[in-house]
Amino acid sequence: MEEQEFRTRYPNYNVLDKWSSADWDDQTRAVVRERLEDVPPIRFFTEAEARTLAAVAERIIPQPDRNGTEKVPIVPWIDEKLYEDRRNGYRYEELPPQREAWRLGLKGIDETAQALFDGKLFADLDSFSQDVVLTHVERGNAPGATWEQIPAARFFKSVLSITIVKIYYAHPSAWNEIGYNGPSSPRGHVRKWEGGVDPWEAQEK
Amino acid sequence: MSSEANENWALSAPGIHGEHVPMRDLSREEVDFCIVGAGAGGGVLGAKLAEAGFSVVILDAGPHWSPVKDFVSDEMASRKLFWTDERITGGEDPVELGSNNSGRGVGGSTVHYSMVAMRAHTEDFRRRTLDGEIAGADVRDWPLSFEDLEPYYEEVEEALSIAGPTFYPWGKRRKRYPQREHELNASAQVLVRGCTQLGIPVAPAPIATLSAPHKDRPPCVYRGFCNYGCTTNAKSSILVTYIPRAVRAGAEVRANSMVAQISTNERGRVTGVLHFRKGSRDLFRQRAKNVIVAGYAIETPRLLLNSASSLFPDGLANSSGLVGKCFMVHSGHQVFAKFNGRINQYKAPPPGGALTEHFNRTMPGAGFICGYTIEVVGPHPMDFAARIASARGLWGTRLRRTMLDYNYYSGVGIVGEILPQRRNTVKLHDTERDQYGLPIPHVVFSYHENDRRIIKHAIARMREILEAAEGEDIWLADRTAHLLGTCRMGSDPSDSVVNADCRTHDVPNLYVCDGSVFPTSTAVNPSLTIQAIAARTAERLIKESFPHRN
Repeated sequence: MEEQEFRTRYPNYNVLDKWSSADWDDQTRAVVRERLEDVPPIRFFTEAEARTLAAVAERIIPQPDRNGTEKVPIVPWIDEKLYEDRRNGYRYEELPPQREAWRLGLKGIDETAQALFDGKLFADLDSFSQDVVLTHVERGNAPGATWEQIPAARFFKSVLSITIVKIYYAHPSAWNEIGYNGPSSPRGHVRKWEGGVDPWEAQEK
Repeated sequence: MSSEANENWALSAPGIHGEHVPMRDLSREEVDFCIVGAGAGGGVLGAKLAEAGFSVVILDAGPHWSPVKDFVSDEMASRKLFWTDERITGGEDPVELGSNNSGRGVGGSTVHYSMVAMRAHTEDFRRRTLDGEIAGADVRDWPLSFEDLEPYYEEVEEALSIAGPTFYPWGKRRKRYPQREHELNASAQVLVRGCTQLGIPVAPAPIATLSAPHKDRPPCVYRGFCNYGCTTNAKSSILVTYIPRAVRAGAEVRANSMVAQISTNERGRVTGVLHFRKGSRDLFRQRAKNVIVAGYAIETPRLLLNSASSLFPDGLANSSGLVGKCFMVHSGHQVFAKFNGRINQYKAPPPGGALTEHFNRTMPGAGFICGYTIEVVGPHPMDFAARIASARGLWGTRLRRTMLDYNYYSGVGIVGEILPQRRNTVKLHDTERDQYGLPIPHVVFSYHENDRRIIKHAIARMREILEAAEGEDIWLADRTAHLLGTCRMGSDPSDSVVNADCRTHDVPNLYVCDGSVFPTSTAVNPSLTIQAIAARTAERLIKESFPHRN
């Protein structure tokens, strides 16, 4: 089962247990609280775009081991970034500004899905077929007229996957499964050597 | 000198312990020096010039952070420390911008830099003489020698209380570092083990982070968030070292002030700058007798090019045509491997890091000139996941599974020399404008064949080292670091933008003092050299005004 594949080395670790400890200061609590509690509404994407993107995010970072409310939210944070038009500090020559890039890219993914799978939209495909679509996009050989306007491989690597991956690994649920210590101010660390694990770091079972 | 200097200390600046400290308001004065950019170059200059009695305003486009209140132990939320305004990146090898190689806010990128405090070497200042002409590259000797900079290296090492090894095996013999080295961390132990197996000399890295208390700052507690801002003030950034000195000496540090243009008069002298302030679309004028541009190798040429006028149609100080040319980075390729024991790379470097400069030299028979330094790296999960996803094309179940071993990976990376080439440029974008209406930068970069050979050599060595340390599942991530060139220093006004004192050849009261002035990149982290050049420039300016002062 796919769920088995994500077996963590740290089953008893929850970074949020340290919320009130010497590892978390007020300003860090504030930004993590926002991430956990203030998930923004969808304001930039259309309903159809958000649906496609949610399906894409579930393939880039599959979360079959979590139910709806436990899943790390991805789409709302991308939507907020685009709604506020917060940039990255650079943009490849061959890409349009980010809002346009995301709209075109999601359109392209649906076009590829339709071309490869009898006119079905990406979100309506089974996960195996979805991965086939994304692999075509990743390799830059995806069918679809929109990919004439935006290079598929560049979009996949430099816009789509990197954004989703970063949002996922910024979430405490992701920190738990990989045993990341997370916030560490003001306490810091003592056992820096190979194999050294401070009592307040993630312990293995 | 403004003897009638405004004694109005009506403003306040954030102090490093969360307090507020009084600061002068110089907005209505014609100041002696207006410095654009409060980073490695501008911070050192601002402090030294103010302490010498000059009136100084330092402008920065970003905020004035309070380290204990504003910095967070979180990767995502620390994006605010980077320069995230749009820049177009192109060429055969487009450079990723907007993170490690950028800074926005007082302290500049030293707020999140890796603190590796290395000196360039005697040979670095004479590459053209020593290595000859290289086809397709524009290698030049520096108009400065190592000996010219040596006392200033020592001065800034002292000011930053560098913690380093008792004996440093490379370069000219040096006196001891002000503080003892940090205890090695797990990633450094891996590098040391691998190098030792192969007979490669290796040493603890000299680091601009306290290993013992210094004045009002405590030693490092190894939070591991150095690249996201230090909350304890152990890190010797410009924000907590030179900036408080500048403010105390009467400089005004004006945050959230984006400079749009340098003003000139009909005689071809600069008269000050025009800048925006946060929340306003109005332009403010700061009058100044001298202007020093220290905005790093993209914003500095951008500002000079954006300051074109009828007298300077191709941009300010650009009679050589070299403003924005010979843009350089460092190759920053990284190799990671998985180990049997836990590494916990998040609490690893930079303090307690190690490095080898064994390959930082022209090696006869290697097929390339110059070389590289190998250092340890320790990305946090967001950054590590993005790197492994991009490098190995991982996504889906494979990515999530691979990331489960995050704590068992350890990495090394290079600072690799890049040769200057005229085709690598920072120019103004033809059509796109930023939030202020200013043309945005268009950065073009392609590796030289020599750069590629260095990278290939370095990757092979890094693999060998990690294999010798018994690492498995080895993989490579492409990366670059630092921004250099674009306003190089030299003696010939037709072949350089500034002279050895960082004064522009074309405009006698305009200076450039940051990574832009490097004629060649060197293969060490550039911050200490930028700071040493700034300390020397300040000294030269002070000597010029007060020839008899000791």
